[in-house]
Amino acid sequence: MSIEKRMLARELKLIAARPGDIFKPMWFLILVISMVPLALAPDSDLLAEIGSAMIWVATLLALLLNTEHLFQSDFSDGVLEQWLFLDRPLAWLVGLKLVAHWLFHVLPLILITPIAGLMLSVPTEVLIALLITLFVATPALTCFSGLGAALTLGSSRSGILGVLVMMPLFVPVVILAAGVLIRATDGSDTLPLLALLGAFSVVAATLVPIAVSAAIRLNIGGSN
Amino acid sequence: MGWRWFHQWGSPRWFYERAGRWQLVCGWLALILLVVGSLWGLGFAPVDYQQGNSYRIIYLHVPVAFLAQAMYAAMAVCAVVLFVWKMKLADVAMQSIAVMGFAFTAMALISGAVWGKPTWGTYWVWDARLTSMLILAFLYLGVIGLRAAIQDPDQAGKACGILVLVGVVNLPIIKYSVEWWNTLHQPASLKLTEKPAMPASMWVPLLVNILGYYIAAAYLVLGSMRAIVLERERRATWVKELVGRA
Amino acid sequence: MLEFQFASLAAFFEMAPHGVYVWPIYGLGLLVIGGLTWVNARQHRQAIRMVQRNLEREETHES
Repeated sequence: MSIEKRMLARELKLIAARPGDIFKPMWFLILVISMVPLALAPDSDLLAEIGSAMIWVATLLALLLNTEHLFQSDFSDGVLEQWLFLDRPLAWLVGLKLVAHWLFHVLPLILITPIAGLMLSVPTEVLIALLITLFVATPALTCFSGLGAALTLGSSRSGILGVLVMMPLFVPVVILAAGVLIRATDGSDTLPLLALLGAFSVVAATLVPIAVSAAIRLNIGGSN
Repeated sequence: MGWRWFHQWGSPRWFYERAGRWQLVCGWLALILLVVGSLWGLGFAPVDYQQGNSYRIIYLHVPVAFLAQAMYAAMAVCAVVLFVWKMKLADVAMQSIAVMGFAFTAMALISGAVWGKPTWGTYWVWDARLTSMLILAFLYLGVIGLRAAIQDPDQAGKACGILVLVGVVNLPIIKYSVEWWNTLHQPASLKLTEKPAMPASMWVPLLVNILGYYIAAAYLVLGSMRAIVLERERRATWVKELVGRA
Repeated sequence: MLEFQFASLAAFFEMAPHGVYVWPIYGLGLLVIGGLTWVNARQHRQAIRMVQRNLEREETHES
């Protein structure tokens, strides 16, 4: 079996061993979204107006909290060190790990968002736009939060430091996605913005794993 | 000059001995420039016909805002020097600039907010400049937090270097997207910036202040770097001799 | 170009109606720069003290 297949198979096995890991961020999303009408008003018009934005923010948070410990278990098990000796560039392996994480942890989260949309009476066109923006933006978000996870690998009490470190980098993505949602509500053309968002995601997915691999090398090797 | 001068920067000792003098010069120069510049701006620059006397805050706000951004760029340069030439002083500089840069960013935010109150009625508006400045503050905090979280100084330096480089690449993207976001919601631009044509009696004191704050920043960074060098090189013979003599 | 813009020194400090905004900001600026200077000096002193303690420890080890 090729290295890539082995990695994906391993990720699948890890998920199968602890299926609860997939559901935790989904629960988080639903819980946070349930808080919104409680904190705001049961009035469905207001909820529908801000609904898509709230779902975006809540999904972002769920993704961040989930990706925080992306490399932690592999790091403690010594698996990351083995990656250095495999016959592939480290950045490539990092990219694979991020892809696996996106497939098995982020995608389920995205698929739950229609339920959240239902809870907040989000109109259908906006909901579709929401799903599309999440699909397109989450690769970039996953890569960036992976970078935060890799940078804080060595530190003891990092808590949500990795998350905080990465938050400013999410701003362009959030703004672009919000732009798409606004256009979707108005009914105007969302394609150019989506293309821009997609381009950003592609560039991030290509370049950020390089930075992530540098950070991992740093934390494995110690100082040199 | 040339490469010999450049390689001297590889020696913390050389730096420590010279920086004391530079720090002194910068300190006095900054003091003079800032006192003159501030008094000039506060008392002698003409009153703005629209904003009255509140505009005088710009003599602090604008230099400090420029510095906030320039210092992040400086950190990025330090990161490059650290990775390419493996110069430890570059890491020390990065560490010092992060703290000082954050202080200036905070000052820019507070002065911007207080300026906004008499001008626009509220302390905070989500206009492009203040929002970008806020995100810049978060970026600085991230670098400071990351440095504090990693024990080994060399490792911490490299990790911060990676973060700063990723941040500096994203910075223009962030600024551009925030400006764009702002125009989305406020077509009649709610600007806190000055009108383009400023008479010389207004911008000359501004230049004096900008120069003054830049030199003050250099003074502060040098001071911080010297303390850090002493602490990091505490086992070196030259440090022991230096302290032993005192 | 250089004429004092206020009627009196009192008017300068009051800077009506915006004195309450302008002066605290400059005060803050002074505080921040002064404070950072003090922090640097303190760090410097602490570093020196650390080295001195190490020196003393070495001397007692040798004797």
